[in-house]
Amino acid sequence: MKRLLSQMLYRLQLPESWVIFFILGIIMMTFPFLHIFNKPVLLFGVPLLFLYLTAGWIISIIVIYLFMIASRHGSRPTDEKDEL
Amino acid sequence: MNGVISSVAVISVIYTALIFLIAWYAHHRKETGRSIISNPIIYSLSLGVYCTSWTFFGSVGKAATTGIDFVLIYLGPSLTAFSWLFLLRRIIKISKEHNITSIADFLSRRYGKSPWLGALVTLIAFLGIMPYIALQLKAVSTSFFLLSGFQKDPNNYITLASGTTIPIALLLALILALFSIVFGARRLVSSERHEGLIAAIAFESIVKLVALLAVGLFVTYGLFDGFIDIFERFRITNPEKFSQLFTFAVSRNDPNYISTFTLLFLSMGAVMLLPRQFHVMVIENSDVRHIATAMWLFPAYMFLINLFVMPIAIGGILTTGSSSGADYFVLSLPQLAGYRGIALLAFLGGFSAAAGMVMVESIAISTMLLNHIFMPIIVLFTPRTWFPILLINLKRFGILLVVLMGYFYYRIIGDSYTLVNMGLISFAAAAQFMPAMLGGLYWKRGNKAGAISGILLGFLIWLYTLLLPSFSKSGWIPDNLFSNGPFGITLLKPTELFGLTGMDLWSHSLFWSMLFNVSSYIICSILLNQNEQEREQVHKFIGIFGHDESQKRTERKRLSKPVTTDQFVTLMSKFIGESEARRALQLYSNGRNITGDGTISEFELPDLKRFTEKTLAGSVGGAAAGAIVNNFLSDIGSSMEPVYDIFSSVRTNLDQNRESLFVRLKASEIINRTLDLQVIMDDLLRLLVKEFKLDVALIVKKNDEGTFSIVSSQGEKLSPTNPPHLCLKNVPLLNLVYHDKKTHFINDLRLDRAAVTLDPKTDQSYISCAHIPIYREGEPVIAVLSLLSKTIAGLFTQEFIELLSSLAGQLAQAITIVREVEAKQLERSQKEAALLKTARITRDMEIAQQIQKSFLPDSAPSIAGVDIAGRCISAALVGGDYYDFFLRSRQIVDIVIADVSGHSIGAALIMSEVRTLLRAEANSVHTPCAVLETLNNQLHDDLSRAELFITMFYAEYNAETGILSYSNAGHNHPVLQRRDESVPMELDTEGLILGVKKDVLFEERTIKLIAGDVLLFYTDGLTEACNSKGEMFDLSGVYSHLKTCLHLSAEEILDSFYARIHEFTGSQNLQDDISFIAVKIL
Repeated sequence: MKRLLSQMLYRLQLPESWVIFFILGIIMMTFPFLHIFNKPVLLFGVPLLFLYLTAGWIISIIVIYLFMIASRHGSRPTDEKDEL
Repeated sequence: MNGVISSVAVISVIYTALIFLIAWYAHHRKETGRSIISNPIIYSLSLGVYCTSWTFFGSVGKAATTGIDFVLIYLGPSLTAFSWLFLLRRIIKISKEHNITSIADFLSRRYGKSPWLGALVTLIAFLGIMPYIALQLKAVSTSFFLLSGFQKDPNNYITLASGTTIPIALLLALILALFSIVFGARRLVSSERHEGLIAAIAFESIVKLVALLAVGLFVTYGLFDGFIDIFERFRITNPEKFSQLFTFAVSRNDPNYISTFTLLFLSMGAVMLLPRQFHVMVIENSDVRHIATAMWLFPAYMFLINLFVMPIAIGGILTTGSSSGADYFVLSLPQLAGYRGIALLAFLGGFSAAAGMVMVESIAISTMLLNHIFMPIIVLFTPRTWFPILLINLKRFGILLVVLMGYFYYRIIGDSYTLVNMGLISFAAAAQFMPAMLGGLYWKRGNKAGAISGILLGFLIWLYTLLLPSFSKSGWIPDNLFSNGPFGITLLKPTELFGLTGMDLWSHSLFWSMLFNVSSYIICSILLNQNEQEREQVHKFIGIFGHDESQKRTERKRLSKPVTTDQFVTLMSKFIGESEARRALQLYSNGRNITGDGTISEFELPDLKRFTEKTLAGSVGGAAAGAIVNNFLSDIGSSMEPVYDIFSSVRTNLDQNRESLFVRLKASEIINRTLDLQVIMDDLLRLLVKEFKLDVALIVKKNDEGTFSIVSSQGEKLSPTNPPHLCLKNVPLLNLVYHDKKTHFINDLRLDRAAVTLDPKTDQSYISCAHIPIYREGEPVIAVLSLLSKTIAGLFTQEFIELLSSLAGQLAQAITIVREVEAKQLERSQKEAALLKTARITRDMEIAQQIQKSFLPDSAPSIAGVDIAGRCISAALVGGDYYDFFLRSRQIVDIVIADVSGHSIGAALIMSEVRTLLRAEANSVHTPCAVLETLNNQLHDDLSRAELFITMFYAEYNAETGILSYSNAGHNHPVLQRRDESVPMELDTEGLILGVKKDVLFEERTIKLIAGDVLLFYTDGLTEACNSKGEMFDLSGVYSHLKTCLHLSAEEILDSFYARIHEFTGSQNLQDDISFIAVKIL
């Protein structure tokens, strides 16, 4: 379990992994996903689309933050052999 | 009203002073070498310059009119942050490597240092940014009017009570231009980093964040009761507007995601490609590692600054009843509620946002103007002494020009556009750089023609479809151009180009400009070829991240300080001594414009460079001097490279020299990188083949039989199994090299054939070749380095041969070292293996010994009238000694002592077998002779197979009768000493050693023991114990010692024998185990 986790953290330090995040983010911001939330209703007293965008934003920031912290503690070598 | 103005003015002045103070402090810290800017948090904050007064005022305006899609402008950059780890990092690394000064510089360098591309990018940036600057001026001047309560006249003039009129927007423009000049263009030095500016920007980022959060909190929790309250109220009072603002255009029943995508796309591009973003992100970056923090901190910053935008917008609508004037809700809401303090804070925030943007933008663009528009013209003229002054003033002029263009744009379009819509025009312009940028970073084929044509087409379409329509209300352009198209051609209507309708202005423009931009870029790149210089640049930009590892390792650091004369002195001192160097420089600087602190302006540099070269040439020769200075300068880096190129006339003939330096450097890297000879040789040959355009490079070794074999080869495919023809052909030469340890080369085979006899049958396609011996001074040749070229005659000049010889020498050294290391390693590993083996055996032996010892009885049985004791003193290793007692009844005890021949594990194993058999045997009543007979028969096969023998003495003592019955199988005779007899007596019977022969009969005798008798059983270890002189303890020793200890108990007798033996042998280790049993009749 622990090995799997460190393996995952290692992979996340590869620039390639971030390409996937990048593309995923763009997909979340385009037609099909937006359409799901594009409704004039309140959820918990907050407009649905506003909630979706705000929550998504926070999550993306936290995700980047966590992985940056993880990679700082993780192995250094990837830092050197950077780039695609 | 004057009071209001003065209070606003005073606060502005104090605020401005504060910013200057911060900037000065940052600059001071940098000068003293403790930069506060080199910090990931400051870096992230400085990226916050993305949030201008557009964000501060315009976002609320957009939120109140078109709704939540304002947030896409910030979600785009947040998404882009995911790509920074690979994209931004790469851009920064390249920029630092090449000392790039702006995005125009970056693009023009990538595409073959094209001056035209640089100028084009500069022009687009210059024009494209106009609306953006105008937006800032509009926002701040309007907010000023709102705050001061003055009526706004069409010219933005305010008339004071005294009757004087002040053109506020123009005044603001001039103030901002002054700011920028002070921060960015005080001096003209090679350094392009402005620490003071960045500190000010970072501070302003904090101010605008705090201001907007304050207003947000005030509106959300002061005027209303939190988020939910605002949303609920809004839905109840204005449900139609609610659904319009909180969805993407659902009200019109056509959820149109095109404009959503356009906003996202534009903002994603803008956050990296706007000149000011590129400037703070790339040029002002002090450490690549700061990106990691900025990746989350910058999105977090944008998130915070936008958190309250929606509540403020809705709060504004709820309070004022409409969304007109929504662009200034941030300011008007606190003011309407009577909170002037918060309104003032909001004004400061807006001012900060605008000032930061205008400063960085104008500095970035004026740098581009200077380097790509003014410089190419200036270098055409003969240098004059007043040129540096001209240059710095041109830079200042550039800043002023940028700001004033923005001002005039604002005057022209007036208030016909909202803030955000003005800004998007600039975003669309910056987006034109995207294809060339991304292609330039990742696509090797992307070429200059493609980049220029793509950017130009995109720019023209942008100009026509976006910038031009923005002038529509100014009356400059005839209205029917917009309604009917030029010359009445409706297909060419700027807002509905080629009949494309139903899209908003920006999506429409973006679609057409990107279509033409991207296709032109790709088509031209595929159809047209890159020239030499372009290919070189492509290699520098893309190649460095591929295979070329070493170049990356020697990555140069950007020089954060300007070049000083001291550096030149240091350089020269290395060659001509310090005093000489100083004198030379003194001579040079007489009558020249060199500042007190010794910094050299861009302009002075070429002259000084030439001078330095000349000075150095006096001592090291012209070519070398050129190489030295060039290397020195390229290490430092310089932002105005074209200037040097004009002056460096000697450059061409230096290439050879540089090449050789480069090759030497790379070669030593290769050699030091690994201890794998094959890798070293392969890499070295590959380097030679690549750098000198050779066709084949080989390392050939002579075998013991006198034939040659190829150890390593690069270049044309050679089959290693079939000795290639070229090797055969060169055998005479190779033999010669082996013989005289000298380099042999033929520069043109067609002419030199007569000199050396070569086999005419072999392939003659090589026209020049060289064979260099690989050897160390005074040692035989190890191998030969052979280089062959098909095309270049006369390749092997004296210099080149020298270089190759020295490489061969290095290689020989490396081979010797590797061989030594290998030999040592082999020796060490063999030793280790042997040690390990011994250790394992020793451990096994120890275990065996332990087990064996445990086989011996712990204590002797206690029987009335007799005292028995037994003991075994072990020698170093396992042995075959064995003794045991079997108590048959309360009166009868069997005593056995035996010795298996040899000291092996085998002996020990047999001994354990004997023990097992004896124990089984002892349970049935047998006489000693019968026991020995049975044992002999049982053990015979095992013993003869193991080639071992056993000697054994078996005795049975009956304490009641005092009779001892005994049989002997070739064992040492036990000694019986009676108290009153002087000579001891030996107990012996006839019998053969066990294991010699089957069915042996053993004699059995009896003797009656009487009180005071001491009987000693022992193994041969006792009599054969040697002292240091080699004398044995012998039977006589046993006899004499036994006599002395008759009075002792059995245990004490053994103790005394032990002590005696110890004394006798001294420090000598025992050769054999000693076991003895003492029986004393009481």
